[in-house]
Amino acid sequence: MIEVTDLKIHYGDQVAVDQLSFSVKSGSIFGLIGPNGAGKTSAIRAIATLIEPTYGEILVNGFSVLHQPEIARGLIGYMPDFPPVYENLKTWEFCDLFAHAYGLKGEQRKAMVLQCLRAVGLEKNMNALCKTLSRGMRQRALLAKTLVHEPSILLLDEPAANLDPKSRIELRNVLLSLAEKGKTILISSHVLSEIEDTCDTLGFMKDGKMTLCGSLEEIGRQKGKGTCLKIHLSRPAPSLPSIIEKIPSLSAFEETGSGGTKYRAFLQGTESEAEQILAQLIQVEIPVCGFICEKPRIEDLFLELEADGNMESKAL
Amino acid sequence: MNPLVVRGGRERLRTKNLVASGLFSLILCSTLYLAAFLDGMQTLAPASQLQNGQKEYLSVPANGAREAFPVLLILQGFYLMFLGTGRVASVTAEEKESGLLDYQRMTPMSPSSKILGYLFGLPAREYFMFLLTLPFLAHCALVGKIPLGNLLHLYAAFSCSVLLYHLTAHVIGLVVSRPRAASWVARLAVLALYVFLPVLGQAGISFLSFLTILPTYFGKILPHLLAEGTENLGRFEGQAVAFWRGVPFFTETVSPTTFTFGMQGLFLLTLFCTAYRKWRLDSLPALSKPLGIALFLVLQFLLLGSLWPFFSHGVASGLLGQALELDPAKTGFPNHLKNDAQPAIAMIVVQSTFFLLNLAALLLLTNVCCPNPHRRLKGMQRKEKLSLSKVPSLADEAPGAVLVISLSLIATCVFGCLRFLAFSPDQFHSASTYLNAVFLPGLIFLLTALSLRAAREQWFNLGFWGYVGFVWLTPILACLVLAVDDFWGNSQLMLHLASLSPLTFFPQLITYLSPDLIPGEAQFVDLSTSVETGVIAAISQAIILTIKLFQSNRS
Repeated sequence: MIEVTDLKIHYGDQVAVDQLSFSVKSGSIFGLIGPNGAGKTSAIRAIATLIEPTYGEILVNGFSVLHQPEIARGLIGYMPDFPPVYENLKTWEFCDLFAHAYGLKGEQRKAMVLQCLRAVGLEKNMNALCKTLSRGMRQRALLAKTLVHEPSILLLDEPAANLDPKSRIELRNVLLSLAEKGKTILISSHVLSEIEDTCDTLGFMKDGKMTLCGSLEEIGRQKGKGTCLKIHLSRPAPSLPSIIEKIPSLSAFEETGSGGTKYRAFLQGTESEAEQILAQLIQVEIPVCGFICEKPRIEDLFLELEADGNMESKAL
Repeated sequence: MNPLVVRGGRERLRTKNLVASGLFSLILCSTLYLAAFLDGMQTLAPASQLQNGQKEYLSVPANGAREAFPVLLILQGFYLMFLGTGRVASVTAEEKESGLLDYQRMTPMSPSSKILGYLFGLPAREYFMFLLTLPFLAHCALVGKIPLGNLLHLYAAFSCSVLLYHLTAHVIGLVVSRPRAASWVARLAVLALYVFLPVLGQAGISFLSFLTILPTYFGKILPHLLAEGTENLGRFEGQAVAFWRGVPFFTETVSPTTFTFGMQGLFLLTLFCTAYRKWRLDSLPALSKPLGIALFLVLQFLLLGSLWPFFSHGVASGLLGQALELDPAKTGFPNHLKNDAQPAIAMIVVQSTFFLLNLAALLLLTNVCCPNPHRRLKGMQRKEKLSLSKVPSLADEAPGAVLVISLSLIATCVFGCLRFLAFSPDQFHSASTYLNAVFLPGLIFLLTALSLRAAREQWFNLGFWGYVGFVWLTPILACLVLAVDDFWGNSQLMLHLASLSPLTFFPQLITYLSPDLIPGEAQFVDLSTSVETGVIAAISQAIILTIKLFQSNRS
């Protein structure tokens, strides 16, 4: 578990992270999103014990990163955004170096190195020198190195930045399986689709601050953009608007096509409420032939938050 | 085995590397060794064995081996001290810049293991090349009949020096971020620390000479490298051997090897503490305030011990000592120092060297231990957040006033002690009173320290080093230009300008405090006005910069 409380990081007069507070539960994948310079990398590096924060508290599995960095480091696996590797080591030697440094011995070390290389799909390239690997392969070698001591907390800064689509899918599956095993994962990324598919909790950062935090649905609700309900009718039903108006959890009801058969509304509630609405419509004999619940799209939310920020700065 | 040493071996000792570097080392070593050996082996036959009065050469292998020994030692030094040092510095800086060092920083290995891993892992190839020179060394020792015990002494000091140079390079690599710059800064620092600084040993500060293998080489090996049949060392060799035989320290004489290990151990410990802190957290200053003060105390102890014989009995080591002891009747040369002014000149040289060394230490410690504006701000914010009345005085974020005042007091006390020694046995006579002779230099040192501290705490690196360059170096450069233009005509102006820089003001002030040296009343007046200028400049600088710092703290 990661708990960040009131974190502040200064570089000279510049504030990189300002009063940042959030927590990531075990078995959860938390995605940090934000424009360049939002403070994501600084926050991750502070959690990884690599930057001394100006003040604030960071706990990983209950250990203070500031006061017990040696213990905290043993629990953390950190992968930076640019993948530096030891150019003149073979891929397996690169992983073996860290397995050795983390105290693994003999056969156990060999087996673990092989297992991690297999998990990231680098088994065939294990004898290749790191300098001969492509950028994506280096990224995977780095992920293997990050996993080699089985950390309970993973901090991944732009983990899929250089990966091809197939590798991204594989990475997602690896991360999901690690989360299932109870690992705490914190990811920062610009690839919104990757975050959307992988993370169960999101944090939007801007100018060093966390502007919104929660699951995609919760954030959507906070921004007035809950689940999008698409209602398709087999024939026009003039009574539908008046029925919908009476349901308080629905808003922004509008017709999306011509002919009075396609409508859209935003649900400020859970999926069980959507079930009740569908049941209600069928009960009053509305000819529903299609009923789709669409989660808010992360791209829309991101752009909306960006627009809010721009409006604020213009107002100032 | 340390994972980082294993990594060094895997990275740098693959078969093709072994073959290439092995061949290079063997070819170079055998060429140089054999050339020196064969050349040295040819020895002129003694007159008793000559037939027909013609010159005849004998082959004496022992002489060849003795001639080849220094060549071998230089080559070994080149591999480990030059190539190895550059390698450690550049790779450390490269890994710091790329982020690889962060991976290592995050592993649960202790900082000590990481430091050792880098020191022995990175120059793995250089150690291998050194290893290939050992058969030549064995041949040299056996044929040249160099005593094994002395050889072990030398190679113990050699290993200690190599470790010291590599650790210096590692620390520089951790501090300087650009790889190429780090490699060269490390080599230059090694040259400055271990070649130029030891030269100050010639000015009576003997402990600085023991950062290299030279004392052990001259003291333990050189007497055994004489050609067979030769009884006496040459004039230079004789002087060198005599110089390194015993180290006068307080009232005792210490063996050069012991002193070498002591000095190098002290440097190693300091560098190790710095590397340890940097490995723990990159953003930590290289030294904490208590460690800074402790180091300064040790430096003062060494200075006091080395200068004690000079101030108490007028005895000095190195060139200074030789100059004091030269007897014109024996050498045939007039000794200009052997008159009434001689001890006073020696006093000025030694005292100036004392203050210049202390200024260098002060600059280093102020730069490292006083917080820059970023760290100061961090301290102030933490203080507010944690509702503390003030930042703890020895914390890295605490203002450096206590530190610099402590350093000034320590240096002044040691200086006072030395001056007291000089006054008490009546070795040196001076017209100035004891109080003046100690108080004025002590005050200037304190003012310089306060100015430096204020500059460090209100400006970042560019501003701080810009200030130091402007105030410490520009007046000296301006004096140089004026001297080239018209030395005597501009002498008054040059004195005033030189009084603005602490580097030239201390020698000036100390000369002013030894008026028996100054021939005429006119020059004395000139010097007194320039000293006044210097004192006023030092006071103004300290006041202005401290007020500015106070204002920036409040804002």
